[in-house]
Amino acid sequence: MNVPDIIETVNVSRHAAWLPWAVSYFFLIGLSTAGAFLSLPRFLAGKADCDRLGRLAVLIMLSAALAAPVALLADMHQPGRFWHFYAHFTPWSWMSWGSLLLPAYVGLAVVYGWLVMRPALREGPAPARLLALGSGDLSGFVRPIAGLTALAGLAVVVYTGMEVMVVESRPLWNTATLPVMFLFTALTGAAGLGLLFNRLLTGHDAVTDRRFYRMLALFSGLVLLNGAVWLALGWSGIGTAEARALEIVAGSNVWMGVAAWATMTAFVLLVFGLAKPRGLGWLAGLIALHSAWMFRWTVFMGGQAIPKTGAGFYEVHLPMGSEGLAGIAAAMGLWVAVVAILTMLASWRGRSDAAASASRADHAVPHAAE
Amino acid sequence: MDSSRRDFLKGACSVTAGAAICVATAETAAAAAPMRRGGDASRRYAMVVDLRKCIGCQACTVACSMENQVPLGDFRTIVSQYEVRDADDPTQPAATYTLPRLCNHCEDPPCVPVCPVQATYQQKDGKVLVDADRCVGCAYCVQACPYDARYINPETQTADKCTFCTHRTDVGLLPACVETCTGGARVFGDLLDPDSEINALLAEHEVKVLRPEQGTSPHVFYIGLDDRFQGKVDGQAALWVVRDDQGHRIGEV
Repeated sequence: MNVPDIIETVNVSRHAAWLPWAVSYFFLIGLSTAGAFLSLPRFLAGKADCDRLGRLAVLIMLSAALAAPVALLADMHQPGRFWHFYAHFTPWSWMSWGSLLLPAYVGLAVVYGWLVMRPALREGPAPARLLALGSGDLSGFVRPIAGLTALAGLAVVVYTGMEVMVVESRPLWNTATLPVMFLFTALTGAAGLGLLFNRLLTGHDAVTDRRFYRMLALFSGLVLLNGAVWLALGWSGIGTAEARALEIVAGSNVWMGVAAWATMTAFVLLVFGLAKPRGLGWLAGLIALHSAWMFRWTVFMGGQAIPKTGAGFYEVHLPMGSEGLAGIAAAMGLWVAVVAILTMLASWRGRSDAAASASRADHAVPHAAE
Repeated sequence: MDSSRRDFLKGACSVTAGAAICVATAETAAAAAPMRRGGDASRRYAMVVDLRKCIGCQACTVACSMENQVPLGDFRTIVSQYEVRDADDPTQPAATYTLPRLCNHCEDPPCVPVCPVQATYQQKDGKVLVDADRCVGCAYCVQACPYDARYINPETQTADKCTFCTHRTDVGLLPACVETCTGGARVFGDLLDPDSEINALLAEHEVKVLRPEQGTSPHVFYIGLDDRFQGKVDGQAALWVVRDDQGHRIGEV
């Protein structure tokens, strides 16, 4: 065995200061904004033959938008002081901008989700009918609110990405490919979640399945491409931070294993997306969610395990309490509960995309947007 | 904008519903970057660490932890220690290298601009401090520091770090680590005082700083700093785990 020239005998081991709550936040807000984008063909462009896909995307957007801020607050060590963000607005800090952009996005997402849900709310159980707030026709607001929500979602994508990218002290984060990867993995996860929801909630529409599969292929392809760009920047030495990050992780078997696993997962999703196996959408969906989660886990928890000055790596262990496993269970549990409540209040089936496509094929008459 | 108009705008804002945001915007509109606040602008505090004199006794580590009530498992300063083998002559016994680490009170501190509430700030005398009453514990500064000098204090749940013992140095005392240093390796002083000991040392010796490539202009200067320890050390990581009385892991050394 090679005896190293330098052995560190005494040093401090810093704990991860961004807890798994941060991973939950970036996972949920990523899925939510991706859901907002995927809903646009139906509710901004008005394509009536993807009604079910559009509704499922809105469900993804709304449910994750409601759960994400809770995870973010929980990651702050002084959540009761959140109002300091507004008392001391700081224009040169991306996180400060986030304190304005996130509530704006969540507010718009709630209005957008409510507008889409509203016709179904009026046909739902008594509490749902109350939530419909009257019976006036508000369908004209759907399109502008959809557009505004997507714009706010884009702003959230930019702030969340930049906030991490500007941290020069961590070469793994300090790369322009990171915000792009957050976006592409979020879109992959949202397409996967769409497949899962299509199976669980709306009676497994075959056309919707195929569309989500197509997106899965596109987005996982983009994930692989973006990963290749990062590698090329690092290997060629064009990217200083990328090269430094590669140098640090190259000697670690754990990191090599994680990188191989992430690449393989993206390839598997690409194959799923291209082959579109019937009845296996739920499996592709679970893998896509795993992939989106794992990327964020590796970036945040793995990234914080790299000492900035000390030798080797800090040891990572997952505590059982709210700063660890219980926190992850709480964030995901809250999200599942929100999905359950939203689906109990109203049906998300909409019109079957398969039926709409079949009828369009039969009559060759384009459906007018509502 | 003249000052009376600005004052009027500030006053008008403060009585409206969006008062907090308005005041903050009015205050920050004049400056697009964090302003230094507090402290004496006629001083610039810094430290020189003469590694030739450091014996790795950790007296500074203990003095700092006692003086500043640093929670168990966290450190504002520590003396990193390394066993270094002579690669050219492996038959030689390994030597010990000791490297005191602390906040570098950088001239361009990356922890300051990321803080979303301006709780982390730099004084006019160069000290980088945290207003623990304002800090929201978001830990963005912990990520931004290139020296791992910051941590979240588990008792206050806010960002914590070396302050150059500001409560002592403000009244003419030395930082606890300097006071207790057995070898006299740590020298604290004012760079703007031409007669200070620190200026004499800087004039006499070639000094280096940690991670100069980060562009932070650190103000802890080292005499005798080996290049291999200037950045992230390329070597084998810490060997031992520390546990408390109940056997719970509280860190590694």
